[in-house]
Amino acid sequence: MNEENQNDAQIKDEQTSAILATSTIIIFFAVYWFFQIQSVRELLELAYG
Amino acid sequence: MPTSILGPYTRTILTGAAIIGLLLFSFTYARVSVWIEVQPFFEWMETTWFGVIGKTWGAAFAFIEAIHLIGLALLGGSVIVGEGRILGFVFTDIPARTIIDRAHKVFFWALMTLLATGVFMACGVAMKIYYLPVYWYKMLALGTGILFHFCIRKPLLQRELEKINPWVTKAVAISSLMIWFTVAATGRWIGFSG
Amino acid sequence: MLNELVYNFAVWLDDTRWSAMLHESYYMYNWVESTHVLTLMVSLGMLFLIDLRMLGYALPDVPASKIADRLSIPMLVGFTIMFITGISLFYAVPVRSVQSVWFRTKMVLLVVCAVNAYLFHNRMNESVSSWDNDARAPSRIRLGAGLSLGFWTIVVICGRFIAYDWFDCDYEQSAFIEFFAGCVDGQERF
Repeated sequence: MNEENQNDAQIKDEQTSAILATSTIIIFFAVYWFFQIQSVRELLELAYG
Repeated sequence: MPTSILGPYTRTILTGAAIIGLLLFSFTYARVSVWIEVQPFFEWMETTWFGVIGKTWGAAFAFIEAIHLIGLALLGGSVIVGEGRILGFVFTDIPARTIIDRAHKVFFWALMTLLATGVFMACGVAMKIYYLPVYWYKMLALGTGILFHFCIRKPLLQRELEKINPWVTKAVAISSLMIWFTVAATGRWIGFSG
Repeated sequence: MLNELVYNFAVWLDDTRWSAMLHESYYMYNWVESTHVLTLMVSLGMLFLIDLRMLGYALPDVPASKIADRLSIPMLVGFTIMFITGISLFYAVPVRSVQSVWFRTKMVLLVVCAVNAYLFHNRMNESVSSWDNDARAPSRIRLGAGLSLGFWTIVVICGRFIAYDWFDCDYEQSAFIEFFAGCVDGQERF
């Protein structure tokens, strides 16, 4: 029973760390690619008007 | 079984600390000072056997780069199959455990191929890539990908999948796809820079 | 004479407006090339997984026919994208491409790969029920898978080498290279 509780606690810990990591990654990369696409659009506007 | 000194949320605390550390490093002067410190290492890389061969024989460099692309194809394939199974796109009639475990084996060897060929290529053009911001973006994405895969994804997915919240596994799969696509795209971008 | 025909066709393509626009574009050529390279992960990724399954190195406890069947659709989608982007890349720089020994080798190998895939597919369909759950396919199937891996690796290598000008027609070349590359005497376009 104690081992099962420990196992559940570890799963909870791993899930929480995964939520923390994935939300950081998804937000970061969404922002990164937004600014990349933005800079490409600006460069294209400069180049072609 | 002994519990960690950090309590029941050890992995979460370490993940949070790593994220804060990485953000502090990326957005403060620490990044620039480390960049200056590693310059002698990059100068040394060009003098190694790999560096001399890569600079002298363009054919050798191009051949290794082609092997790098083969590794990329395999890594991409294993990521698409592994994460696709988690997201329910492929092999939905095969147990997820089987697909995840087997795809990981292919992923591991593909990553080893990419790292080995990547080091060779980096030695050949060390000072060029040292001054390329996109190279450092790729290294950041690669480091994040490796840490995420082995420290977050693998330990989580080794558990019984029925006990894990399906939204968490889907978020892990989407993050994995985003990271490795970014690594590939920034890698390609290096070729257009400098 | 065939070389002259091919050269003249390439020059005609080079003179078209869209070819020049694609070649001289700020980003378009790079995006087309990037798409061509990155789609490798889809097309060759799936293909290599199928081949490695036949050889027993990947996903050995998944039935071989299921691997081949399920992965063939994303593989064909990937190859379609690579075909379209490949034609676009050729169209942007047609003269140099058509006279590149690496490009010519790559095209021949693509045909060889297609024939190998067709034979492999037929052999597999005829016999798969007897070895579907085996970790390794029979030797004839493994040979086809091994050849596929080898040929596609050389295709990727040739594709990478196209960028290098060691055997270009605008440099002094041996008679063999001039023949293989299809160099035309007195050609003005390169």
